[in-house]
Order: sequence, then C-alpha cells, then structure tokens
Amino acid sequence: MLDFFNTFIKSAFIENMILSYFLGMCSYLAVSKSVKTATGLGLAVIFVQGITIPVNWLISEYLLVETGIFGIDLTFLRFILFIAVIASMVQLVEMVVEKVSPALYNSLGIFLPLITVNCAILGGSLFMISREYNFPNAVAFGLGGGMGWALAIIAIAAIREKIRYSNIPAPLQGLGIAFIITGLMGMAFMSLMGIDPAAFFKY
Amino acid sequence: MRSSKFIIVFISLLTSIVALVLSVLFTGLKDKHDENQVIFSKKSILLAIQEELGDGSVLDMTNQEINELFDKNIEQLVVNSEGHILDKEAVEAKGYLGGLAEDVNLSKEKKKKETDRLLPLYIYKGKKDNPIYIVTLKGSGLWDEVSGNIAIDADLNTVVGASFDHVSETPGMGAEIKDNPNFRLRFKGKKIYDESGNYRSVKLVKGGVFTDPEHEVDGITAATLTGVGVSKMLQNGIKSYEAYFKTLKK
Amino acid sequence: MTEVKERKLSFFAFGRKERRLVTEPINDTNPITVQILGVCSALAVTSLMWPSIVMSIAVLFVVAFSSFFTSLLRNYIPSQVRMIVQLVIIAFLVTVVELFLKAYSFPVWKQLSVFIGLIITNCIPMGRLEAYAMANSPWKSFLDGVGNSLGYGIILIVISFIRELLGKGSLMAGSPLEVKLIGNSSAYLINTSEVSWLNWYSNNNLMSLPVAAMFILAIIIWIQRSSNRKLINIS
Repeated sequence: MLDFFNTFIKSAFIENMILSYFLGMCSYLAVSKSVKTATGLGLAVIFVQGITIPVNWLISEYLLVETGIFGIDLTFLRFILFIAVIASMVQLVEMVVEKVSPALYNSLGIFLPLITVNCAILGGSLFMISREYNFPNAVAFGLGGGMGWALAIIAIAAIREKIRYSNIPAPLQGLGIAFIITGLMGMAFMSLMGIDPAAFFKY
Repeated sequence: MRSSKFIIVFISLLTSIVALVLSVLFTGLKDKHDENQVIFSKKSILLAIQEELGDGSVLDMTNQEINELFDKNIEQLVVNSEGHILDKEAVEAKGYLGGLAEDVNLSKEKKKKETDRLLPLYIYKGKKDNPIYIVTLKGSGLWDEVSGNIAIDADLNTVVGASFDHVSETPGMGAEIKDNPNFRLRFKGKKIYDESGNYRSVKLVKGGVFTDPEHEVDGITAATLTGVGVSKMLQNGIKSYEAYFKTLKK
Repeated sequence: MTEVKERKLSFFAFGRKERRLVTEPINDTNPITVQILGVCSALAVTSLMWPSIVMSIAVLFVVAFSSFFTSLLRNYIPSQVRMIVQLVIIAFLVTVVELFLKAYSFPVWKQLSVFIGLIITNCIPMGRLEAYAMANSPWKSFLDGVGNSLGYGIILIVISFIRELLGKGSLMAGSPLEVKLIGNSSAYLINTSEVSWLNWYSNNNLMSLPVAAMFILAIIIWIQRSSNRKLINIS
C-alpha cells in the first residue's frame, strides 16, 4: 500500500510528465487558453493514461514474453500494440465527448485525437516497462501520471487566464509567454527531483 | 458513418496486409539482423579494451576485421552465479544454440531470477600472464534498456576500460553514454573494491563533485535518470560475477 | 474550368498553388510556432545539431509518405476507426524502413532506432493526416507533408545550433562534419585558456537541459511574430 502511494505521489508531482520531462507539450500548450477546456482535456488524459498503462502492463507481461500465452518472444510488436491500445481508448473518449459535450468537443478540436500521439501517454507505457513496475504500481503510475499532467495543464491555463490583460509585448503574447512560463515552472520542478516520498511516509 | 460490416472488413484487410508484409520482411531479414547484432556486440566488447588493443579505432573496422580481431584475442566463457563455468552443452540446454558466451541473450537473462542467470565473460589474453576480464551488463535507462561492457584488470579490481550502449535514450542527453567518446574514458583506473576488500562498484555522480574519487565517475548533464540506471546496472551487474572472481583469486 | 481540366490531367502538377503548399508551413503556418505540433521532439532532440538533422529527415519521409498513402485511402477509411488506421499506416512505414536499415545499414539503424518512438509520438504526422490528408488529393498531401517537415526542420536546426554552441561549445558533434569551436583545451578551435580576454568563458550547462529550448523557442516566436505581424494573437 505504501508502495502504491509512493509511486502515485512520485509520478504526479516529483516526476511530473510535463514539468519534469516536458512530454505531451503540443496539446498542453494549444489547449491551455481557458481553465474549462484544460480541465476537460486533463480528465481525458487521466482516463486514457489510467486505463492504457495497466492494460499495456498486462499485454507486455502475458502476451509479449516467451513465458506468455503464445510462448514466443513478441517484444518487437510492443510498440504497435501499445499504440493500438492507446488509439482505441482515445477513439472511445472522442465518441463519448462528442455525445456528452459538443461544446468541449469543438473547443478541443484536433487536439482530442492527438492525445493518441501525446508523448506523455506512450512515454508512460514505456517508462512503466523500463522501470519494471508490478501491477499495483503500474496502476498507481497510470493514475498519478495522468493526474500530474492534468494538474500542470490546469495550472498553466489558470495563469494564462490571469495574464490575458497583462502588458506583454504583442508578438510574445499567447504562445510565446506560455513557453516562458512553462520553462520557469519546469526549472522550479527540477528542484523536486530526487525527493523520495517513501521517506516522508515513514514519519 | 460506415456500416459495422464495412469497418470490420476494412480493418481486417488492412491489418492482414500490414501483418503479412511485416512478417515476410521480418523473417526474410532476420538472419542478417542477427549477424549484424553479433558483430555489433563484438565491436562493443572490443571497444571496452580499445586502449589495450592500440592499433586503429575499433569503430572504423569492417565486419571481417572485427571478427578476426575478436577470434584471435578474446576467449569466451559462460559462468553462473555460483561461480562455476558452464560447458557448451549446459549453455545449449538453456536454449542458446551455439553454446558460446556470444550466443547468450542478455535481455532474456535479465528477466530471470538473479541466481538463475547465465553470465557471459570475455577474457582478453593479448598480454601474457595478464588477462583482462570483460563483464557484460544490462540495465534500464529512462526509456528502455541500457547495456555496458566493463574491462577489469588481472587484479580483479581496477577498471581498464568500458563501453556503453542503449536502445532509445534521448539524443544529446542519455544517449551521450554511447555517443560521447569521453564518457567511457572516465572509467579507466576506477576501483571496484575498497582498500579493505568490500564491494563498492563504480557510480555516476552529478556535476563532478567527488566524495570518493576511486569509485565515482562524472555523469552526464541533463540525464539524471539514465545516470541512475547506469549506476544501478554497474552496482548489480559486476556483483553477479563476484562468485566467479572469488574462485579465480584462490 | 480549364484550370480544373489541367489539374486532372497532370497528377504531379507543380504550379503556384502547389509551391505554396511547400513554402507556407516554413513561416506562415509553421508546425511548431504556429500550429503547435511536434513540440516534444523539438525540446528533446535539440541539445545537439546532428540528431536534430537526422530527426528532421526521418520526419520528412514519414510525414510525406504517410500523408500520401492516407490520402489515397481517404475515401474508404471509416471515420469511427480513423485514428487506428492512421497510426497503423504511420507505424507500418516506420517499421518497414527500420527493418531494411537494420539489415543493410546497421550503424544508421542503431542511430535511428532511438528516434522511432519520437517519430510515432510526434504530433506532426498525425496532425497533418487529420488536418489535411484526410480531405485532399494524394499529391497535394505529399507536398503538404514535405512543407510541414521543412518548417519543423528549420526550427529544430536553429534551436539546436544555439543550444549546442552555448551548451557544448561544438557544432554537429557526432557527425563527420564535427567542429569543436570553443572550449578550454587545445582540441577546440578557440582555446579559451589561451585567449586572455576569454578565459572567463565556460559552457552553459543549462543549455543542455530541455528548459533552455523552451526559452529559445519563445524568443524565436517573438522574433517571428514581430516580423510577421499577422501571426499575432493566433494562439
């Protein structure tokens, strides 16, 4: 249980996908103009990340290895299978969002399907393999990673809403200043690297 | 909106064409892939003792030259975690055709329990009475596997060379363990045991601030997690050869 | 009417319109600074110039050809499963190239294998498939792909030039054209330890971190939008 919380906190805050690794930047920058749409996309990412990482864990543990169901080493298919799982999850989310909230669907535009190729999602699945997580940890990592991503996009959306009427040079407004803010947030997050939440739980 | 029937036919047609082409290509080119892979790992092993070999950069050699150099100078062994040498039949029984150290698949071995692993060991006997032992290591970087070869002097303590490789670390950051020619040179002269004989291994530290210079190497800027992975690989990997080294010391 | 006829006759026409497909994404609709596609890789690979160039060429092939093939199939792809189809096409192209390179040019494969994940998760291929190739003819889609990857490549090369020069003191490290420009040993062209008024100089490690790319990119956007004022307030 402690391990679960440890991985969760670590993946959400300390090793934040956006602010520590700068993964999943495209949709993060493009959809962070208002808190409302940012929250929508954030929830979609939590959902997709939270489902695909455990599913991909099961795939790589039971299908792709020599001791798995097929009895042959299929690791060369890992990439395509992971992407296929992610794409089908995103397609599902897209259909649901289109039905439930057409307004959100329109404001997300092309960046909803682009969750599929969001580096944070596939990166999460690959990190999960290279860090050799067990199943509960993979679940915690999926949820934590997604929440960290959502947190970062909501945070920058709030900042961008606040600075909309600030006196920024016109060519730097919007995207330019968003890059600079993210850079500063990233530098702040660099100081969290290496903190071990497990040590905190011991007290 | 298309009918479900059309979707099913379309998807199955597309995936079967793709799968067919890929599997034909994969099986057709597999022999060549394997051959290239073997040459590449030989090159990597020779690179770890580049400074001992001297003549010409290993990286510029043709496949044939690599094979000749390797066969002439390198002796290969497979040991287990208890320090016993396994013969050809025993290795083949574990599923590796050919039964030599170069046939052992390290990625597969990494997934096994530590006590069950086969450990390939390469010995360079270029200098008489002074064999150099090259251990092969496998670990995890940020995205995927990292690997390394560490050449250890006949005293079984001093590192004389190293070489590293990775599957997909970020270029310019984690990938520098392979791409930066200076990185592997930093390992020369480091010690694996401390003065009282305790196992210490070698680890990467950030920013070149050493507290224990005999066992520490300057890491790569902006690649903290690859560095952690490499340190962990060195710590666990060299240790698994300890049992065999003990039998040598006797 | 006559123009339409001409267009139909010459499948590979390269007139004014087609030329604009290639040149527009370099400035007016640049994938990184205007469309906000492919930012992750622009941050990840740009600490050195050579990987940036390799990445740009790889992306050029993948975007151009996946646009072409997707456009050929565009009237048959069911909208409910289009993302999976698009990704299958992208991943298929990448894997075929990978298998051939691994067999016939192993060192190149070794270098490129690192990028494969970055190409597939790069937003540009899928972004252009969604935005353009699903609705336009194959040849136009191909040109659109070429143009967008050129726009992407230019930004990558500019960022990596600054980052490598200030962060490592070299240019094109790792390639045959490597130049060691500035540093404190005799291996560099400008040896800072010998030039008395330059001995304060040392490489800036911040430039090797992805954070540096964020700031450089912001400055590029600033300069680009100052000179091209219609881009202001686009996003």
